[in-house]
Amino acid sequence: MANDPFPTESMRLKSLLTHLARWRVAALLLGATAFLTGCDLNFWRMDGHQSTIVVNGPVARSQLEVFYVTCYVTLAIFVIVGSVLAYTTWRFRAKSAADEHAAPPEQGHGNPLIELGLIGASVLALVIIAIPTLKAIWFTYDVPVEDKANVYEVNATAFQWWFRFEYPAEQIPGSGTLLASNELVIPAGRPVRITLRSMDVIHSFWIPKLAGKVDMIPNRGNFIWLKADAPGYFWGQCAEYCGDSHAVMRFRVIALGPREFNDWLNQQMAPARTVAAAGGDQPKAQFASYRADWRRNERGYSEKFELNPLDAWRAHQEPDKTEDAALIAKGRELFQAKTCFSCHVIRGHMVGGSSAYPDLTHVGARTTIAAGLLENNPEQLARWISHPDQVKPGNKMYVTGYLGNNIKLTPADVTALVAYLSSLK
Amino acid sequence: MDVTAKSHFTTHGESAPAKSYVFWRPTAKTGLISWLTTVDHKRIGFLYGLFALFFFLVGGSEALMIRLQLMVPNNNLLTAVQYNTMFTMHGTTMIFLAVMPLGAAFFNIIMPLQIGARDVAFPRLNAFSLWTFAAGAIIVNIGWFLPDGPPITSWVGYAPLTSKLYNPNHSTDFWILGLQLLGVASIAAALNFIVTIINLRAPGMTMMRLPVFTWMTLVTSFLIILSFPAITIALVEVMMDRQFGTNFFEVSNGGMPILWQHLFWIFGHPEVYILILPAMGIISEILPTFSRKPLFGYPIVVFSGACIGFLGFTVWSHHMFTTGMGTVATAAFSLATMAIAVPTGVKIFNWIGTLWGGHLKMRTPMMFALGFIWMFMIGGFSGVMHAAAPADAQQQDSYFVIAHFHYVLIGGSIFALLAGIHYWFPLVIGRQVSDFWGKLSFWVIFVGFNVTFFPMHFLGLNGMPRRTFTYDGNMGWNTANYIATIGALILGVGIGLYFAVMIYTFFKGEKANRDHWDGRTLEWSLPNPPPEYNYRVIPTIHARDAYWYEKHHREEIAQENAVHAQEDEAHGGIHMPYQSIYPLVASCGALLGGFGACYHTLVVALAGGLVLLSGIYLWAMEGAEGYHIHLDAEGRIVEDPHAKH
Repeated sequence: MANDPFPTESMRLKSLLTHLARWRVAALLLGATAFLTGCDLNFWRMDGHQSTIVVNGPVARSQLEVFYVTCYVTLAIFVIVGSVLAYTTWRFRAKSAADEHAAPPEQGHGNPLIELGLIGASVLALVIIAIPTLKAIWFTYDVPVEDKANVYEVNATAFQWWFRFEYPAEQIPGSGTLLASNELVIPAGRPVRITLRSMDVIHSFWIPKLAGKVDMIPNRGNFIWLKADAPGYFWGQCAEYCGDSHAVMRFRVIALGPREFNDWLNQQMAPARTVAAAGGDQPKAQFASYRADWRRNERGYSEKFELNPLDAWRAHQEPDKTEDAALIAKGRELFQAKTCFSCHVIRGHMVGGSSAYPDLTHVGARTTIAAGLLENNPEQLARWISHPDQVKPGNKMYVTGYLGNNIKLTPADVTALVAYLSSLK
Repeated sequence: MDVTAKSHFTTHGESAPAKSYVFWRPTAKTGLISWLTTVDHKRIGFLYGLFALFFFLVGGSEALMIRLQLMVPNNNLLTAVQYNTMFTMHGTTMIFLAVMPLGAAFFNIIMPLQIGARDVAFPRLNAFSLWTFAAGAIIVNIGWFLPDGPPITSWVGYAPLTSKLYNPNHSTDFWILGLQLLGVASIAAALNFIVTIINLRAPGMTMMRLPVFTWMTLVTSFLIILSFPAITIALVEVMMDRQFGTNFFEVSNGGMPILWQHLFWIFGHPEVYILILPAMGIISEILPTFSRKPLFGYPIVVFSGACIGFLGFTVWSHHMFTTGMGTVATAAFSLATMAIAVPTGVKIFNWIGTLWGGHLKMRTPMMFALGFIWMFMIGGFSGVMHAAAPADAQQQDSYFVIAHFHYVLIGGSIFALLAGIHYWFPLVIGRQVSDFWGKLSFWVIFVGFNVTFFPMHFLGLNGMPRRTFTYDGNMGWNTANYIATIGALILGVGIGLYFAVMIYTFFKGEKANRDHWDGRTLEWSLPNPPPEYNYRVIPTIHARDAYWYEKHHREEIAQENAVHAQEDEAHGGIHMPYQSIYPLVASCGALLGGFGACYHTLVVALAGGLVLLSGIYLWAMEGAEGYHIHLDAEGRIVEDPHAKH
């Protein structure tokens, strides 16, 4: 039969090519769709910012391993049972009207041995899943004993629709615990244990690349632990429906090496930065104009930031070189005049505000604003403070702050406030 | 057995009741009044089905709005509030107003026929269930037409989001009171089904000869009466919090929001089986019929159904793996959940065993049934993944969960219900659905469904949370969302086609012959559509597949029936219950009272309660009377039963 392999080979090749030609049409169609929609077609790689498959810490890895075990076991069962089902359907289908009207098949009622055997086999398959599941339940619950001494503690508190982070180990003389909002900076390579609280409704704390979620429930003390393998920038999001702006209640986690983490703590412990006016002639404030035609729910991130988020975060820690001291001073006045200070704390600049609202002492050093929704640049900051209702439906700053205190901002006010807030590194 | 089956005959007999305006017994057999006052289980089931299918389309439209909003990132088709309304109403509608009542439609129409009964045990209570269901459905949906808007707290309504502080307007009250009435309707109906199955089985229909669908009706009904009280209590508590300032969930006064989750899910998880067990029952009827073979391992299929029902009460906290329950509780609920996979797997094995060695007739119901097995397997496997609590910590409230439960609820429940409609259509409506168009609609639905929901597994694993009205384009979710929306549109076309075929057939379809599919269970022995009295002679059951047995022992059965027919005549003929207006009156009271409670208006609430109570009182006082029908040899009614009155 295999006297002359070449014709067979070429025939095979030919049929392969015809197959390919057929598939090419499909591929073209698929490609066209992709082109039209501007999306990539390898979504099954699942390596996005909130991937649970490409992970960066031991807790998420342990959860992923359990997922893989369940996946392999169920896939194996699916292949076996599916093949039998497909074969049965094919083999016993009525092929003609005559088949349908043939004498009925044997009226068998079952086979206890087969049935019990299959029950046994299912139990066995479940035991294979149960053992790693139990191990991981205990591992992911709390920091392992041998790591306990090294743990870094943080408190996270959820509000509609933002997160407050407290650093109980860092006490600032005269003003208490160090606070941060919406961006949690943690030491990389150390276990971090985060106490989870909520001040209003139920939220859920989820940083997919570091750990699965744990809910933040009022009147209930929950906690989560996690560890980042290496320095990095991670996306997090509230995972429990919590009202109007649930979808845009996001946050970021930045993991830093020991020295960089310490530098960051020192910077944060310091009071708000004041930009000294340059000596000599006081230059007049330059009022820039920002884009005003934002659509509701328009995107607030940029590709440039995406390339290297951690470096972008680092760059954000440095003051802008083109700061306009006069404009910043004007912004600081406005922050008081427009009653912003009655909610938001800016430590060292003015007295007022409370920890129930985002602390803005170092807001300029954050990479995002509006709870991880918008990139922190002057355009987006201007967008946020001029139309908070358009950015985040139902948010309290608009409903109780702007409407309650009848706050109106002119474009010039916005420019000054943006300059001031951006200077708070 | 004879005594219980014939208990109807011992009541008032032929004595015509005195005419009175209060105790007016409607006798219309056609027209609006006949439908409003009907106590016929087939008519009530038909109305349940109509309402359910209507709400199925409403819920489907809400789903399409959701998918269109998520088609592209940062979309603006819906506002956040509109989107949150859509998913709240989609979930509530599909679960309480579509799948559950569609199941109830089958229970009502098919179950009494399968056990050889002439109606359910309490025909007027059955009507009350139907109209109270309608009242609940109206209250849940009334917000669409009122300034406060429809509910917006998601179908699970987690406290304290439902408190007055976070949702001060009446939309949440619509949800609370609407669900409360739906619960009343479900419990009343379930009790009725239980009593019917226990007491009204034909002679010889032992429990282990019950058709599997009837068995699943029984198990589901027990799940309803045991699980609904939990949500009733939870809803009363949140209602008290909202209306009378109690502190069950009021955090500032020490309330415990977590309590709502426990109460909700100890109802909510059995509820999942309330949605799937009827589906499994339908599949267990269709596969044997179209394989021309008895169900493989009947006892173990029945037992695993009961087992699923029982275990369903032991796993509620697997919806709460992320609430910080601690290691031991998490482990226990994790293992209990895995255990449920065993009886579920057993069912799939036995269905395949049923197919093995059969003559598989590939008609539309069979296609849906086979589609069900495949889709339910996938949904079951992703369910096992959730059972592993650490994996679930990542999947909980992500699109992976959305994919999972749509595989079990659409690929499972809906496929089976659509199969059931096709399967029993020739019997109940008496017309024959085109196989070509039926199969075409199946394939469009099958493809659309998978294109919609399979990519959601990837979305979930890639970290997309559920109940989000928007997402950014940089998260790697764009393609899968786009494909899912295309799939949803295909699914929509498929469902549209399915309905078009059914509506056409209902009016214009070819008449179906008797025993259209070569059926095995008792209902197929009836003419189509079945007469209002169902069985001319209450049949005597000799085997599990009663009608299959009858077809192979025609003479024996004919002789038996002749004897029984004479006995019936000696008792005065076929006894039928009178129609009644009072179930409808009582339900209208519930509607009025519910509406008053929604607006915290005590007077209206009390007035509604008064109407409800007087409806029930008059319904009790008018008595469970009826009349007799006499038939000739051809089954025609020989004298007008109402002529006497």
